[in-house]
Amino acid sequence: MLQCHVKGCNANNFPLELQEVVLEEQEAELNEDFLRNMLGKLEYEALVATCLKLNIQDLPPTIPEDAAYNDDFLQKLHHALLETHVITGKMVCPNCQHTYVIRDGIPNMLLAEHEV
Amino acid sequence: MSNAKNPLHIPSPFQADNAVLTEGQQEQEHVHNVYQAIAPHFSATRYKPWPVVEEFLMTMPPGYVGADVGCGNGKYIGVNPRLFLIGSDRSSNLISICAERGHEAMVSDGLSLGYRSGLFDFAISIAVIHHFVSPERRLAAVEEILRIVRPSGRVLIFVWALEQSGKRDFDKNVQDVFVPWALPAKPAPKKEKSSKGRGRKAKRAPELTQEAEQEAEQEAEQETEQDSSTTSSVTTESTTKSLTTPPSTVVENADSSAPEAAPVFKRYYHLFRQGELEDLVMSTGKVKIEKQGYDRDNWWCIAEKTST
Repeated sequence: MLQCHVKGCNANNFPLELQEVVLEEQEAELNEDFLRNMLGKLEYEALVATCLKLNIQDLPPTIPEDAAYNDDFLQKLHHALLETHVITGKMVCPNCQHTYVIRDGIPNMLLAEHEV
Repeated sequence: MSNAKNPLHIPSPFQADNAVLTEGQQEQEHVHNVYQAIAPHFSATRYKPWPVVEEFLMTMPPGYVGADVGCGNGKYIGVNPRLFLIGSDRSSNLISICAERGHEAMVSDGLSLGYRSGLFDFAISIAVIHHFVSPERRLAAVEEILRIVRPSGRVLIFVWALEQSGKRDFDKNVQDVFVPWALPAKPAPKKEKSSKGRGRKAKRAPELTQEAEQEAEQEAEQETEQDSSTTSSVTTESTTKSLTTPPSTVVENADSSAPEAAPVFKRYYHLFRQGELEDLVMSTGKVKIEKQGYDRDNWWCIAEKTST
């Protein structure tokens, strides 16, 4: 959902690559409406690639045709999106290499004034 | 700040002591630094959702994804658990409070949010846009919110009103003001010499908190607004002065008014005239106004994004 927003970095600035990540799993209530809504918003390939790097391997490589009503798939999506939290890590722009830090579960997207 | 940016040619409050600062630096000093410093106290006075905002959130279809831009302590993030609302704020101390409450939140600047364009079904901006110091920056802030919302997505914006007639009676010719925030005296200085005085002060802290809420902050919650007339005049005086005298005197007045004076921070506000918010939002050329109104000393409007 995040992209690099450094001035002039307009292409190939998504997805930010997670590095040096500490993950934490937290159970969350399944919200099927949210998951179905997200199907239209997700860059699914980017999500799968990111998950693989984090050793989350249960998402299928392509989005199932019946995704919206595939309980098994929705459960896996739910786990990836809402139950897996990055507590510590870095998000690196694939284009300009700008690094955004995640600390205590909080991404810091601030830029220096000259980068805005 | 040049007068060219100020159609009424009224000196900006910054001209008195901050003539050399850029607009970004002015906001750094008189908005960001203030909220960093007052975050816990500010948060303690922010718990009850405003009805217009609550209704906006409760009537959103389940599963909608929203952005709370300038979310403060995140008091709106959990209002409707069927939504997925992500908060962002310029103040990392306020975002830490959000995170402690288990909310999704990140530190981000309202002029440059890190979200992909068109991602959100809706967005809210509650008492935020009035902290940008120039018309250009206020417009840019609105543009950035519209950027992250999808076409036909809705945006709810609240800003402080010039015309408010409650405890505050602003000079109707002055739209750019500093508004003090008085911290309770107790937690302010790290090294305290007189532990006795500190102890006494600590007992009074809840009262002072209440007072600061009422006097230094017009975004007051409904239930604390009732007995504002019973509170001390100290803060009121400095409040009034801040509108008519160089801002530096606000702090001096407050400091000299009591031996155990609480630190007072000067927050910058642009007070919106009636119609100004709608004009600002419409000037993007990307919305239609769906609803508008006045509530709790604020002008608000709901706009629907019609084009990208």
